[in-house]
Amino acid sequence: MGIPFSVVCLFAAPVSALLFGYFFLLKRKQEWMHWPMILSCAVVGVSAASIAAQVYSGHVLDVSPFKWMPVGAWSVSFGVRLDGLSAIVLSLVALVGGLIHVYASGYMEGDPAFGRFFLAFHLFYLSMIGLVVANNYVQMYLFWEMVGLSSYLLIGFWYQKASARRASLQAFFTNRVGDIGFFLALLILMNVFPAAHARFSELFPMLGKGSLAISWVGWLLFLAATAKSAQFPLYFWLPDAMEGPTPVSALMHAATMVTAGIFLMARSWPLISLAPHLPTTIAAVGAFTAVFSGIIAATRKDLKRILAYSTVSHLGIMAFGLGLGEVSSALFHLVTHGFFKAALFLCAGNIAHALHKSTASVDETGGLLKKIPVTAVFFTAAAFSLSGIWPFAGFYSKDAILGAAFDRGGWASAAGFAIAFLSAFYIFRMLFLAFLGPRKEQHPPEHPHEAGPAMNVPLFFIVLGAIGIGWFSAQFYQLASSGWLGVSPMIKIPGFDWSSFIRSSSMAGLGILAAYLWTMKWPSFDWDWRRNMPWIETIADADFGVKPMVAALTLLVEELSYLLGIFWDKKTWDRWIENTSLWAEDAAKSVSSLASGRLNDSLWWILLGGGVMLLRLLK
Amino acid sequence: MILTLFWAFPVIGALFTLLAPAFNLRARWVSLICAAMELYLVLQAGTGFWGGRLASLSEPGKILTYGISYSFSMDGLSWALCLLNAFLTVIALLSSWKQDLSAGFWASFLFLEGAVMGVFLAQDLFFFYVFWEAMLIPMFFIIGLWGSENRKHAAIKFFLFTFFGSLFLLLGILALVVFHHQSTGVWSWDMNILRAPNHGLYAILAFAAFVVGFGVKIPLVPIHTWLPDAHTEAPAAGSIILAGVLLKVGVYGFLRVLLPAFPEWGMKSLPWLGGLAAINVIYGALSAMAQMDLKRLIAYSSIAHLGFCVLGIASRTAQGLAGGSLQLINHGLTTGALFLMVGFLYERTHKRGLADFGDLVSQAPILTFFFGVTVFASIGLPGLNGFVGEFMSLSGMAKVSLPIAVVGVFGVTIAAFYLLPAFQAVFLGERTPASVSSRVFDLDFREQALLWLLIIPMIVIGLHPGPLLNIVGPAIGKLIL
Repeated sequence: MGIPFSVVCLFAAPVSALLFGYFFLLKRKQEWMHWPMILSCAVVGVSAASIAAQVYSGHVLDVSPFKWMPVGAWSVSFGVRLDGLSAIVLSLVALVGGLIHVYASGYMEGDPAFGRFFLAFHLFYLSMIGLVVANNYVQMYLFWEMVGLSSYLLIGFWYQKASARRASLQAFFTNRVGDIGFFLALLILMNVFPAAHARFSELFPMLGKGSLAISWVGWLLFLAATAKSAQFPLYFWLPDAMEGPTPVSALMHAATMVTAGIFLMARSWPLISLAPHLPTTIAAVGAFTAVFSGIIAATRKDLKRILAYSTVSHLGIMAFGLGLGEVSSALFHLVTHGFFKAALFLCAGNIAHALHKSTASVDETGGLLKKIPVTAVFFTAAAFSLSGIWPFAGFYSKDAILGAAFDRGGWASAAGFAIAFLSAFYIFRMLFLAFLGPRKEQHPPEHPHEAGPAMNVPLFFIVLGAIGIGWFSAQFYQLASSGWLGVSPMIKIPGFDWSSFIRSSSMAGLGILAAYLWTMKWPSFDWDWRRNMPWIETIADADFGVKPMVAALTLLVEELSYLLGIFWDKKTWDRWIENTSLWAEDAAKSVSSLASGRLNDSLWWILLGGGVMLLRLLK
Repeated sequence: MILTLFWAFPVIGALFTLLAPAFNLRARWVSLICAAMELYLVLQAGTGFWGGRLASLSEPGKILTYGISYSFSMDGLSWALCLLNAFLTVIALLSSWKQDLSAGFWASFLFLEGAVMGVFLAQDLFFFYVFWEAMLIPMFFIIGLWGSENRKHAAIKFFLFTFFGSLFLLLGILALVVFHHQSTGVWSWDMNILRAPNHGLYAILAFAAFVVGFGVKIPLVPIHTWLPDAHTEAPAAGSIILAGVLLKVGVYGFLRVLLPAFPEWGMKSLPWLGGLAAINVIYGALSAMAQMDLKRLIAYSSIAHLGFCVLGIASRTAQGLAGGSLQLINHGLTTGALFLMVGFLYERTHKRGLADFGDLVSQAPILTFFFGVTVFASIGLPGLNGFVGEFMSLSGMAKVSLPIAVVGVFGVTIAAFYLLPAFQAVFLGERTPASVSSRVFDLDFREQALLWLLIIPMIVIGLHPGPLLNIVGPAIGKLIL
């Protein structure tokens, strides 16, 4: 089977851009580095659009043209699967990722490591594309790890800062812990279903209900997704990951990296749904993550950190939706979130850029509405979308998930209310604090400047998506269900429903009102409670105890390695071995005292020897 | 004759190198030319193995006395390891090119190369043992004469330790010969014929003797403590060969001698061997985390990586054996490259402690790039060679014993925990007072070329290991249970 040209382009364009950039531009003309990358994004974007159109009309492609690891019957291939699921996330990555590339070319202008930035940035993009079009788990793992590698390179981009180095290590390690799950799942899949070669299209039809191996694989894949998609308790790396430049955060939180875990769960849904109790657990973990990090987001002061916790919260919402069986709604939320979160991060980047800093705290902002009005408008639109206000995009996806939660009732319903309230509250708190005012505690810059067209034009298009992408939910569903491998069909994204609209919108409205009271009615409240009740901030800063626990765990591993590697191996065991030579020496010394060299002793020995010989002879 | 040439040519080359100063020739050039010709010879002989056209290349044996026969044979596995040996010898020679060293240094590497070739090719256990012991001599001198401060201690420790192991190996070999003589009345030392009985105390003892004899070389925990010292004190070129080639002969012995000779025992001992390997993986990785000396750290990582080789082989499945064998090559490339780069650093600064460096990237960005790629290959990032070997080994083990495979997966994870912080501390972290004094020059053309030679195979094997697997596969096919 031939491979369509558009599919070849998905890989050929980024790879050749990277090679060209590394070998030709890096040393000579690194300020041109963005051109091959943006060109490659354009090629990938067009290819993705044509692929999406093909898939939309029902043409699913699944080929495995190359053998990767062939050993007799056991083998792993390279291949691509282009169905609704991959086409959707591919389009999101290609479009939003491409726009962020353009934005980054403006944002990073003049950085001494401009070339390195774009190489790593584009590697990130390539890895994510590879991940979504993979047709088997092993190949997916390859790109899954490459996503981790690129995030490591980008989070630690400003490696001169100790915090950036620490954050990049933390991100890589946490993901590595999750990868234990993925790796083990691969091992089980390759051994229990050797004939499937870990290919989705061959594996899923083989699954029988209730098999123990299948549930294990399901749980392990969930562990992997927990780390990559920042679910509780492996979420803590993501807020710290904003140590990288803002475009990196935008790419990582919107299109690549964190969406990979949700994508993995959606891709594996036929498998996960068979594991007993797993979907409910996913929903519960997602709901808890969403509420937990929503609360933390409401207490943060750093703009990017608020957005980072908000991403954790929204990933929780996606997992919540997935766990409730709403695969298509969760995916739709992934897409709308990709747009509004990218927009919010880029707006935060605009603010930081105006301040000439890598990140900004609310103390340094306030009253920015008059100074950078374009950014303020963009931010407001995206904030409405995030809060799920009709008719912004966020409403359509979030409302579908919340609707399912209300239908489930009980804890799910309560979580739904909390989520709707919290997300509106923290984003509008941030909006009011940053753009209105300034309050007496805030010290905004005197003359901030609006970002240039290289930054604001791509941002405009992303905001457009954050506003309007929700109106295409019917088409989205059509695309998503094309080539769906699940045993049961995907659940349709529900249409407009008054009852859930009223419930979720009223909660969001309450959230906005609360944010208004918090920041506008009592303008100093945010500073007062920190001053008067510092213990609350201490608890919130420690993420309710998660951070100290992570630190303790790290220390434990370090101590363990010291005990084994130095105390036991070098100072105890190896010393004992080396001392054996001393024993030999001692033994030799005690024997050598027999050969003292005195004539008298020797004569006695001769006599003894002679006597023994004589005895032998006589016998 | 060609197979004799494989081991004899480097040995003769070593003699030429020693004599070179007498004829006013540059010893290093003589040794390099010999090593390059040897590499060409091996490559030339291997053309038949590509695409599986040739299963093995052997020459008729010549029986000498007591059944000792002079016979050599080469199959895909031997060829791949011979190629690794010849290739890494060239790299090792070139790595110390700029240092002022006597002819003996250059000759030692050629002599070592010849001895290792002999081990990989011999079919007769007598000659196998002779070559096995012959490897010790040049390595002893390399560590003891051209090593760093503590070289004498390390050299003697290396020699005694491995000699101790060799005695067990000799016992095992003699036991096999005697078993064969008892059952057939014929003396033979042919490793393709000799089989141990399925039961009996002596068979158990012989098996254990082989495990210890080969295990010292691999090295298996707890008989591994010579390795960190030997690696730390050896000169860079010595470390490259020690890690890249010499550790491989132990696993090769498992594949060629131990497993075929104990067909029944091999099966029963699977969990044991797998368990030992899993201990190696975790023990090596955790110990590496605590090391503050770059060479010691890499040495412990070798223990962990060789654990994956044994893990795959112990599974006795097609993918496990292939993965374990592939991991031998992978480890030779990645660890060879790591030692090469640490050697470059040592050449410039005469330091190897993690705390002695910091922020090298601003002085040596090219070195940082190469080191980064190699670190990621070593921690098993898919797309580079380490992953393929580890994944196949663990996949084989998962088929036999899932708990052991789980332990192995944890080992894969921990690999990142010791290599990445070390990488950050040396190349990215802040400059320490100790590191400010010496300025580090970035790599010159020779050094970059050497690293490209090592890194390109890492990427090729990572993405397209098929041809190599096809070469190695038939050689280990008969070991699959």
